[in-house]
Amino acid sequence: MELSINSNQSVLDEEKSRAATEPIQFIVVRLGEEQYGIDIRNIDNIVKMQRITHVPKLPAYLKGVINMRGEVIPVLSIRLKMGLEADEITKATRILIVKLEEEGNVGFIVDEVKEVVTLYETDIERISSDITAEKGSLINAVGKHNGELISIFDLSAVSLEDN
Amino acid sequence: MDVSQYLEIFLDETNEHITNLNTRIMELESDPENMDTINEIFRAAHSLKGMAGTMGFKRMQNLTHDMENVFSEVRNGVIKVNSEIIDVLFQCLDALEEYKDNIQGSADEGTNDNEPIIKMLNAILNEGGKSPAKEVPKHTASSGQEGGNKWDHITLDDSQVTVIREAQKQGKRVYGLNVMVQDSCILKAARAFLVFKAVEERGEIIVSDPSAQDVEDEKFDRDFTLIILSDVELDEIIEASEAVSEIEKVVGAEIDLENNKSAHAVPEEREASEEEENPGEEVQSASAEVPAVSDGQAASAAPAAKTEPKKQAPAKPVVNRTVRVDIEKLDSLMNLVSELIIAKNSLVSVSSQEQTDVNSAFNEQIEYLESVTTNLHESVMKVRMVPIESVVTKFPRMIRDLSKKLDKKMELYMTGEETELDRTVVDQIGDPLMHLLRNSADHGLEPAEVRIQRGKPAVGSIFLDAYQEGNTVVIEVRDDGNGIDVEAVKQKAIERGTITAEQAVNMSDKEIIDLLFLPSFSTAKKVTDVSGRGVGLDVVKSMIESLSGEVEVKSKLGEGSTWTIRLPLTLAIIQALMVVVGEEKYAISLGSIQTLEDVPASDVKLVQNKEVIHLRGTVIPLIRLNEVLDVERKPVDEENLIVVIVKKGDRLAGLVIDELIGQQEIVIKSLGRYIKQCKFISGATILGDGEIALILDANTLI
Repeated sequence: MELSINSNQSVLDEEKSRAATEPIQFIVVRLGEEQYGIDIRNIDNIVKMQRITHVPKLPAYLKGVINMRGEVIPVLSIRLKMGLEADEITKATRILIVKLEEEGNVGFIVDEVKEVVTLYETDIERISSDITAEKGSLINAVGKHNGELISIFDLSAVSLEDN
Repeated sequence: MDVSQYLEIFLDETNEHITNLNTRIMELESDPENMDTINEIFRAAHSLKGMAGTMGFKRMQNLTHDMENVFSEVRNGVIKVNSEIIDVLFQCLDALEEYKDNIQGSADEGTNDNEPIIKMLNAILNEGGKSPAKEVPKHTASSGQEGGNKWDHITLDDSQVTVIREAQKQGKRVYGLNVMVQDSCILKAARAFLVFKAVEERGEIIVSDPSAQDVEDEKFDRDFTLIILSDVELDEIIEASEAVSEIEKVVGAEIDLENNKSAHAVPEEREASEEEENPGEEVQSASAEVPAVSDGQAASAAPAAKTEPKKQAPAKPVVNRTVRVDIEKLDSLMNLVSELIIAKNSLVSVSSQEQTDVNSAFNEQIEYLESVTTNLHESVMKVRMVPIESVVTKFPRMIRDLSKKLDKKMELYMTGEETELDRTVVDQIGDPLMHLLRNSADHGLEPAEVRIQRGKPAVGSIFLDAYQEGNTVVIEVRDDGNGIDVEAVKQKAIERGTITAEQAVNMSDKEIIDLLFLPSFSTAKKVTDVSGRGVGLDVVKSMIESLSGEVEVKSKLGEGSTWTIRLPLTLAIIQALMVVVGEEKYAISLGSIQTLEDVPASDVKLVQNKEVIHLRGTVIPLIRLNEVLDVERKPVDEENLIVVIVKKGDRLAGLVIDELIGQQEIVIKSLGRYIKQCKFISGATILGDGEIALILDANTLI
């Protein structure tokens, strides 16, 4: 009897840990020298840099709007948003169309889209909230992949921002 | 069975009936003897009662039942209509409205029994000197006898006969029932379903002709026939069936299989003929069946039947063939049309770019496509248009109530109720209009004594006029009251700290009057529950502006004021002038553009350090769009300025642009929730080449 209970317990544990290590795919992008990851489930599309229509009276990091399949989508400069120097547009520059829960789709300008990586929960380290509370921080976790560090975007920080 | 699927229909119809009742009772007040009106009211109350009953809203049913009783007496000339009765009836309508709102909100009628109202209704009845009970069967059982009894033509098979015999042995009764739906009825199957349901609650349906399935599939003309087994009286079944709305009449009689004597012989005979294997043969002529109706009700019903259908026929207006469509479906249709127009615009821009190598047939087709999309757009727009009637019909009643409440005599005159607006606009225009009317009634009109002193008629007049003007719809609320006391407004504004005394000196009357639209500004010396709570005009303004409209007021002290609301006909697609400022393209709605001017730079003058131009005798302030829009100005011809003259009401302004592109039909898109819109950008549009142009709201720039 005892044995069977134990084995049941271990099965449960195994299931739990498997659930916890459900792999998440991240799109890895480059901003300057650093690598950032965005949960692929939040990505709608990746498009080449294009002409952005300027909208007056907006904060500097909001670059304007683009046309995405007939929808008007705001584009923001992640670099300016994080307090880095302005984007340098190159051939590798892309706009990531990100789905936000409340506000709908928003475009992020990134220097380069590198790859898609699969991370397990065990590879991801949450950053304590007092660091993320710091103004302008959009990062809430760091992932490890092949010995490199990938900062993971906290999309709620982007969407909550009152611009 | 579940009736919830009919809740929509129920609510829609209840709405119509209540509105109708409101209008008719108003009519009745001015013309208490009009039989047509009384009949119409009676019919509406009766339908409401039936519908409420079917849907299981008992309280609503009780209230309408009592209303109906009162009307029955009025119709019979026992009670004379007086203003007291009218007041009670209006209270009834308010109570019904409340039930309706509850049902709309929670699919439940609520718990208010409205006993005081019911007591008042009964008091009216008792004063009339007769008990209502006698009257009830008179109108509910209006079974006329025209032609034959259809159930006699139904051939029963053996098993059905056995079932009937069996039931009769158990003391049940067999009835034949013929149900006729109104000619104008749209949802015949739904009505039939409700009749089936009503009947099944009271008995068992043995035979249906056409079959129940066919009836459900609407495969019947206007009537269907049932043979039922039941314990209850025939009257009750007929009454229940007639309570379903849009049922013209229900005729029924008891069928007797066993005691087939004299006139009752038919069913038995038919049975016999069936046994002789002659199914379908009609043995007896229809007319012979008439005396078969031996029920006591037939006698009393006959006179009622004679009068009622006759009256109903002319009272019921010819109903248009309509389909109720969910507004969301129309929205998605509209979106598709928008997409199509964008696609069409890109084709146009491609063909104009490569004019040399595109053959003329292609151009022709594009032009054809252009006209088709324009027509399509117009048709879809028209589908969404509804007359403002649905909103304004409640106003005469409101003014009547206000007149009593404020103890001022006033009359509302309305024109242009048939003016059409987009459904979404119509839905939201009611409240602002109501505020303006109340405002006129409360603040505008003077008490009768003052009016007489001033040589005006004692009864104040309020006008509500609606008309279409180009691409806009204008709704005016006008009164012949006191007008706006500019000095009083000025004093109040200074008192409140809205403006300083120095500012006040420099302000024009119009600017002072515009202060009224600021939040929390009310000049009423005493606060009534009608107006004067400081919520009103600012709400009116913001609601109208949220509909892309504008409101302005003109007033003459002592003579009255006119409030003018202008609304765009359509919200989604507009004709716009495309312009270039700096690197960007912008669209300006054609509706707000007055003219285009070429102005030599030397004509620009400075007044109070602001740039203005003189144009045909008017001084027009200049607005340099590149400054407002934060864009670099192109190094263009500095000698000549291209100026777009825009107007808002009677104010003008000149917008300086860099380049003109031309006129284009554009689809308005939102900038999305992420961007807090700056106030002079009203949206964006996608151009033929896929680029985005922002739409400038010229109104906010002036």
